[in-house]
Amino acid sequence: MTAPRNTTAGSTTKEPQNITASHITASGRRTTNASFGFGNPVDRRTLLRGAGALGAASLALWPTACSSDDDALTFFFAANPEEADARLRVVDAFQRTHPDIKVRVLLSGPDALQHVSIYCAGGKCPDVMMAWEFTYSGLAERGVLLDLNTMLAHDRSFATELKPDSIDSLYQTFTYEGGQYAFPEQWSGNFLFYNKKLFTEAGVRPPPGRWDEPWSFGEFVDTAKALTKRERSGRISQWGYVDTWVPYYSALLFGMNNGVPWSDPRMDPTHLNFDNSSFTEGIQFYADLANKHRVAPTASETQSMATTDLFTSGRAAMALGGHWRFQTLKRAKDLDFDITVLPTGPKGHVAQSNIGTTGLAIASSSRRKQQAWEFVKFATGPVGQAVIAESGLFVPVLRSAIHSDGFARAHNAIGNLAVLTGGPAHAEGLPVTPRWPKIAALMDRHVSPVLRGSRPAAALADGLSREIDGILRTT
Amino acid sequence: MFVAPNLAAVAVFMLFPLGFSLYMSFHNWDVFTPAKFVGLANYRSLITDPLFSIALRNSVVYTIGTVVPTILVSLAVAGVLNRKVKGISVFRTIVFLPLAVSSVVVAVVWQFVFNTDNGLLNIMLGWIGVGPVPWLVDPKWAMASLCMVTVWRSVPFATVILLAAMQGVSENLYEAARLDGAGELRQFVSITVPLIRGAVAFVVVISIIHAFQAFDLVYVLTGRNGGPETATYVLGIMMFQHAFAFLEFGYASALAWVMFAILLVLTVVQLRLGRRRAAQEEQSWA
Repeated sequence: MTAPRNTTAGSTTKEPQNITASHITASGRRTTNASFGFGNPVDRRTLLRGAGALGAASLALWPTACSSDDDALTFFFAANPEEADARLRVVDAFQRTHPDIKVRVLLSGPDALQHVSIYCAGGKCPDVMMAWEFTYSGLAERGVLLDLNTMLAHDRSFATELKPDSIDSLYQTFTYEGGQYAFPEQWSGNFLFYNKKLFTEAGVRPPPGRWDEPWSFGEFVDTAKALTKRERSGRISQWGYVDTWVPYYSALLFGMNNGVPWSDPRMDPTHLNFDNSSFTEGIQFYADLANKHRVAPTASETQSMATTDLFTSGRAAMALGGHWRFQTLKRAKDLDFDITVLPTGPKGHVAQSNIGTTGLAIASSSRRKQQAWEFVKFATGPVGQAVIAESGLFVPVLRSAIHSDGFARAHNAIGNLAVLTGGPAHAEGLPVTPRWPKIAALMDRHVSPVLRGSRPAAALADGLSREIDGILRTT
Repeated sequence: MFVAPNLAAVAVFMLFPLGFSLYMSFHNWDVFTPAKFVGLANYRSLITDPLFSIALRNSVVYTIGTVVPTILVSLAVAGVLNRKVKGISVFRTIVFLPLAVSSVVVAVVWQFVFNTDNGLLNIMLGWIGVGPVPWLVDPKWAMASLCMVTVWRSVPFATVILLAAMQGVSENLYEAARLDGAGELRQFVSITVPLIRGAVAFVVVISIIHAFQAFDLVYVLTGRNGGPETATYVLGIMMFQHAFAFLEFGYASALAWVMFAILLVLTVVQLRLGRRRAAQEEQSWA
């Protein structure tokens, strides 16, 4: 039940988190436990007295901490450690402009949807929560999310300001059954990172830098082959390509770039295109990268080292992923990287990424709807989006922020900035259905043998396609 | 009066959840919207759910693959620990160590051990010329790997029970057997094992229950979907998936009660068999 962008939590969060919400304050400071300085001798009486005082203090604070009267606005989000810092800068910026609204952040665990469901089921739904394109509709259908049109109707000035600056396809991703259940906050589609140094060393021409300059599956695999290094023993010391997203989703991106969308229609689909031969040919191409061409590691070969680490350590030349990896790669030592577009299959006409977006939603049960609205307006509106652009946290969703100098400055290490700025316009929407968690589990089960090379992708047309259609038919 | 707090705890934390899950098994409930009564529909869906039969089959394989080796290994280990030899306390500590480690930690450590390229197990197999085995990646090996870890984890508990029972066996019987010329193995098979049958039966029942309820080890070792593919998709994983991933708490409750019914039947059958055998033995002695 996970939104992709990573194997677990979604968006921006792609790895299990080790930081619990309570350890982070909105200002980004980690709270620390009180500790005694062991450098100084502490006698037993002092220790007991200190413990007593601590106990009394915690008892005094306990009702406040647990009370639902706590007036802070709660904001639930997922982020990897590098992203969390940037995210908190946005929260701080909001608090500077809205000193009267206190924000308490809740950092998601590995499975964001599960995490937020437990909060909401326990009557403690966060006021503002991050929403993922794959999973928000399940919460919307259950009445957990507020239809933001109800707030927008009373805030015409913001509506007027937002409309011309928005990218329709991202905005519509969160439009479900006539309601607007989140405002997009970032474009998080996938593209390829590549190691410039390894390309130069291998004498390989750099890949294209714009979505309207496609490169073919053939060119891609030739490039990956040229960048794959084998030792005498046959062991591979450098991979041409690695996947830092979710392999059974990534494979579908290759199907999509072979000219076929994932589903039909996109919103509340009745069918996923696993029975389309062009779609499965794209998936087969992806599987062949590891099993036939040996330019990508198999599941066994990535057990001992994460694919992102393979790329940051210079042991992989190209890596599929989204902007959520940017902060991690930027911090990697001796890594000179740029980005390029996904390759296009023989039956595809254009290079495409995916949408690929997370948004901010308000809980329908929130008692601080107006404060939550102010926060959502800030983060998804021009001011917050400009902060996001400057921080390099996300690819913003407002045109003014995407094409801002601040965004360009935050990404000055990237030469092919057009891959990011042109991404939303060259991104195809992925299915939006409340039944996605079941479909994802099915896909994991059926696509994995294809990726392992034990079954051809064409076989997906029989079992998987029928089973998914069965789930989509249920109400 | 004195038992009131405990009684309250049992009522709140055991009886209420039990009753509530039974009630929910007749409803469709996603936590957010009001529960809708559906009668036996959840139970009927379970019977026709192809994944239920896969999960049940995997749970049975897992149960057999863990209970049988656990009993055999525990008997052997308890037999060794029952001896009065020098340094036995150190050996006992080592054997009981897995009991003190949490399942999640065990699973994480074994993930490293099972690593295909750099795992300890494959490195050791390499020394004897065996090529790398994809322990957790290949569906054919995943269940075997899971069983291995579970046996490693279960042996200490079973050993504690069996060792306690062995220490209750009268030394006179062994002396008599030795006078009759019985060797160590013969004594173990003909005296020790029959006299600790009750403890063995207890360990078997407990191990079967644990095996059927397996979740934490599987979740960490092979993932939330019981992969690869459906190789380790056991009933515990199926229940968690329906409850917390698909938010189908009614369906998951029905599954929990079906699991309970299966375990109840197995336990009753086993107890009856045990009693019948004990009665037969008493008769034969008489």
